[in-house]
Amino acid sequence: MERKYLYLDYLTCIGCETCETVCDFIHGGNPHIRIYVTENKQYLPINCKHCDDAPCLRVCPTNAIYRDEDGAVRIAENRCIGCLACLQVCPYGVPFYSLKVKAITKCDMCAERREEGLEPACAEMCPAEAIQYGPLEMVLELVNERRAKNIPEHRREITKEELRKSVSSGYVLL
Amino acid sequence: MKGMKFSFLCKKKPQPTGKRVAIVGAGPAGLTAAGYLVCKGHNVDIYDKMPEPGGLMLFVIPEFRIPVERVRLGAKELEEEFEVTYYPRTKVMEGERLDEGDEFYERVVGLDELRENYDAVLIATGIWNVRRIGIPGDDLEGILSPLELLFWIKGHELGYVPGEKVPDLKGKKVGIIGAGLTAVDTAFECSRLGADVEIFYRRTIREAPAGAYEINILRNRGVKWFELVTPKRVIGENGRVKAIELLRTRLGKPDETGRRRPIPIEGSEFQVPVDYLVFAIGMVSTPPVNGEYLATDNRGRIVVDGRHMTSVEGIFAAGDVVNGPTKVGRAIKDGLYAAVSIDEWLRGEL
Repeated sequence: MERKYLYLDYLTCIGCETCETVCDFIHGGNPHIRIYVTENKQYLPINCKHCDDAPCLRVCPTNAIYRDEDGAVRIAENRCIGCLACLQVCPYGVPFYSLKVKAITKCDMCAERREEGLEPACAEMCPAEAIQYGPLEMVLELVNERRAKNIPEHRREITKEELRKSVSSGYVLL
Repeated sequence: MKGMKFSFLCKKKPQPTGKRVAIVGAGPAGLTAAGYLVCKGHNVDIYDKMPEPGGLMLFVIPEFRIPVERVRLGAKELEEEFEVTYYPRTKVMEGERLDEGDEFYERVVGLDELRENYDAVLIATGIWNVRRIGIPGDDLEGILSPLELLFWIKGHELGYVPGEKVPDLKGKKVGIIGAGLTAVDTAFECSRLGADVEIFYRRTIREAPAGAYEINILRNRGVKWFELVTPKRVIGENGRVKAIELLRTRLGKPDETGRRRPIPIEGSEFQVPVDYLVFAIGMVSTPPVNGEYLATDNRGRIVVDGRHMTSVEGIFAAGDVVNGPTKVGRAIKDGLYAAVSIDEWLRGEL
């Protein structure tokens, strides 16, 4: 089956918490996607990126981490020994050790839903269309399309001085 | 583009239960609750005073944050795949009250009538009133409500509001009081329409509810940011806004919200000339009742129990009308859990 991607576009995310809400709802109060807020109040939803070259998958000593047919990086709970090696190498700090399950838990791209022919809930419900799910080409195209839509909304006449400042500082005027 | 999938919990309509639920308000809470309930086999009708479903997501929040199409397609899917019936331009009310957006409704239905005709009712009418500031001159011409302004702009783009209703803001000086998300969205839209925008806030950027990230994007677009100022009175000329008189403030001890309280400095008055003024200092819940029909608190919010049920058996409430202004995701969360309660209650398990 074709590898699917679950991509979160921070440039279109509005921090509304819908993704975390629906993930929380279908996972009994333990969301796998969580919104973090920076000090200047930028909202960053973080979940497993299901990396192509996933360091967690390479480092797991018991081969408890595997990739399923849709490309999701999954945990075989019965093989997990709770050594947290995956957490050590994850650039996003995603793997979460659940004392209840006695294994690492994390986003599995809604494995149960995919079995029923449904898609990841966060992508289906995000009002801002900031979460895209599908094959790589499709995801990239949808992200570009969504961002392009914002350009005319943001565009206004800028003064020569502003333009000069924007170019010289490398700072993008939205 | 695909629509929001409010019925994200199921693929198709299950066996009908024969139970009928009325939802008042087609915003995020109402639509998500509808999505859950249709997945449980209940029949759902949605009443809303606006001409089409979507609520604030569609009529107020700017297009660059939430695309209209995304909401429209989501609401349409509920109608086409799950046989949800919409009753637009229908205000549900017990008693009387003027709210914003009232110019769109054509019919009024009593809440008690819904209670009698349906097995359960969910109120998700949100926050369709703005808080008034109560300073001299706050009723002058040229003072705009942020909600009204945002839905005139968006409503015009959607084809519901005639162009002459939207003030011509090009080159005009617009002062905005407040630093929440509504203030920021109003500033974005006014700046997009060519206005010269200034934001006045009584604390500093650090305490601003919208956050420094959003405010700095605005500042990069040319919006001016004034902090540590509080409005004292609005100065008019021939009944129209001419300027705002502000007092400088300093920050004192933290208040109940944990943020330092702004204290006006006596004798620090100064004036800033403006053409339009927007007081974006908070929104108020608008339950479909005014009077004793069901219990509300001193801020007009509906009081519910742990089952999301109001003081009237069989009427539930969720979203901003219960919690006050929050975020889309929190309204969705409340809508979802209220729908779980309604489903359990209809099955006699609650």
